[in-house]
Amino acid sequence: MRPFGLIRRRDFLARLISAVGALAVGWFKSPVRAWAGAGDFSGADFVGKTRAGRYEKFYVNYWRSLRRIRAETWALDVGGLCEAPRRFGLEELKALPAVTQTSRLKCVECWSAKAEWRGFRVPELEKLVRPLPSAVGVVFHCGDDYVEYLDRESLNNGRALLAYAMDGEPLTHEHGFPLRAVVPFKYGYKNPKAILRMEYVTEPLPGTWSKIGPYSVDGTILPGWDHPLDRGKVRRRIHGGEILD
Amino acid sequence: MKGLFPAILVLNLACFPSIPAHASDAVEVPAGPFVMGDDADPDAAPRRELTLERFYIDSDETSNAEFAARFPRHAYPAGLDFHPATGMTWDEAREYCEQTGKRLPTEAEWEKAARGTDGGIYPWGNQAPKNPPHPYFSGLVTRRVGFQKYDVSPYGARGMAGSVWEWTADANRDGKKIARGGLWNLHLDYEHARAFEKIFAVPDRRFPFMGFRCARSD
Repeated sequence: MRPFGLIRRRDFLARLISAVGALAVGWFKSPVRAWAGAGDFSGADFVGKTRAGRYEKFYVNYWRSLRRIRAETWALDVGGLCEAPRRFGLEELKALPAVTQTSRLKCVECWSAKAEWRGFRVPELEKLVRPLPSAVGVVFHCGDDYVEYLDRESLNNGRALLAYAMDGEPLTHEHGFPLRAVVPFKYGYKNPKAILRMEYVTEPLPGTWSKIGPYSVDGTILPGWDHPLDRGKVRRRIHGGEILD
Repeated sequence: MKGLFPAILVLNLACFPSIPAHASDAVEVPAGPFVMGDDADPDAAPRRELTLERFYIDSDETSNAEFAARFPRHAYPAGLDFHPATGMTWDEAREYCEQTGKRLPTEAEWEKAARGTDGGIYPWGNQAPKNPPHPYFSGLVTRRVGFQKYDVSPYGARGMAGSVWEWTADANRDGKKIARGGLWNLHLDYEHARAFEKIFAVPDRRFPFMGFRCARSD
C-alpha cells in the first residue's frame, strides 16, 4: 500500500503544482492572451496580424483586426495642441513634398525587414498645423484601436517619415494603408499603422503596448541581436539606433 | 528604545557601503602589458598583447547629477541623480571630461581597466552570471552607480559589463565612435557585454543607452 499511497501523493502534488503553475502563467501572460484573443474578426473584409504569403518576407502585427480602410472615406485628423488643427484627405497629403528612403524596421520580437518607403516628413505637416511650443509629442490613434506616442524630436530628426507607399506601390492594408509612421531607429511598435488621428500633447504617454506589456515608452532600438527576414533570419549583432544595412 | 537608533545607524552603515559622491573617484591602472581583443569576434580580432603607460579611470560611469551640473539642459527622470547619465553626444562627453581635467579613455585603456592583464572574458572572470542582468523589459534599466556587486574589474572599476554603453575616444574607419561595455538585448532578454566587445555609433546622435566615464594620465 505504501508505494501506491506514495504514487498517489506524488500524483496529487504534481497536479497541484501544475495547477498553480498554470494559474501563474495565465496571470503573467494575460496581456499576451488579451492580444491573441483580440484579433478574432476574419474574412476578406478584415486585415490583421499575418506572416502568410508575401508577408513571410515582412511580417505584419496589428493590435486588433480592422476593417479595410476605404481611401474615399478616410481622412487624417491632426489636432490637439496646434494653432491650426485640420483634416487632410489622402490626395492633400500626397501633394506635400515627397521623400523616398530605404529603411529597415526592427521588431522587438527580434526579426527585421527592409523596404523602400515613400511619404512626407513631419515638419511639412507641421508647417500647416503649427504645433504650440508646449506640444512635446504626438499621440497616434490608429484604425486597429492601437495608440502610440512619439516625441517631436524623434519625429523631426530627418529620418522619420509618414509613408503612403512601400516598394513603389501604395501601402497594402496589411502594412498600414493609407498612412503609417516609419521611425527606423525605434522598434516596430513605435511605427503605428493605419493612422486615423494625430494629437499633439504636452507630455509623453505610454502607448498601447507600453501600458500593458514590458515595452518601454521610448522604444529606441538597443544594441543586441537581429534576425533579418531578408537574410534567412541569420542572427547578427546590431549596434543600437537605426539599422543601416 | 534609546539604544535603537544607534543600532539602526550601525546596521545601515554596515549594510550600505558609502555612496560615491561623484564618478571622479578614479582607480589606478598600472603600467604594463595586457591582453586585448579576441580571435572569435571579428570586431575585436586579433587577440594580442599591448603595453600601456599608467593611467587612471573613473571607478563609475558619470552620473546624471554630475553631468547636469556642467550641462544644465541635461534632463533626466526624478530620482535618478546617481544613475548613469545617458543621451549625450560624443562631443558633449569629451567636453565634460575636459572640463574636469580629464579625457575620454582610449579603447585600449577601457579594455585593460575592464579585464585586467590576463585576458578575462568579463571584468569578474570568465563565467557568465547565472542571473539575468536586466528585468524582462524592452527598454534600458540603469543601475545606480557604485552599487554593482559582481560587475567589478580587477582594478575596482564598476559597471563595465552592464548598465549603459560608454563612449571612448576612438573611432572606426567609417568615423563612427567606438563604445564599450553595456548590455546586449534579445527580445526582452539581456546579456552582459564581454570585455572585448564593442559597438560603433554616430558621434552626433544621442542614444538613451549611451553614457561615459573619464580617464587621465599622470
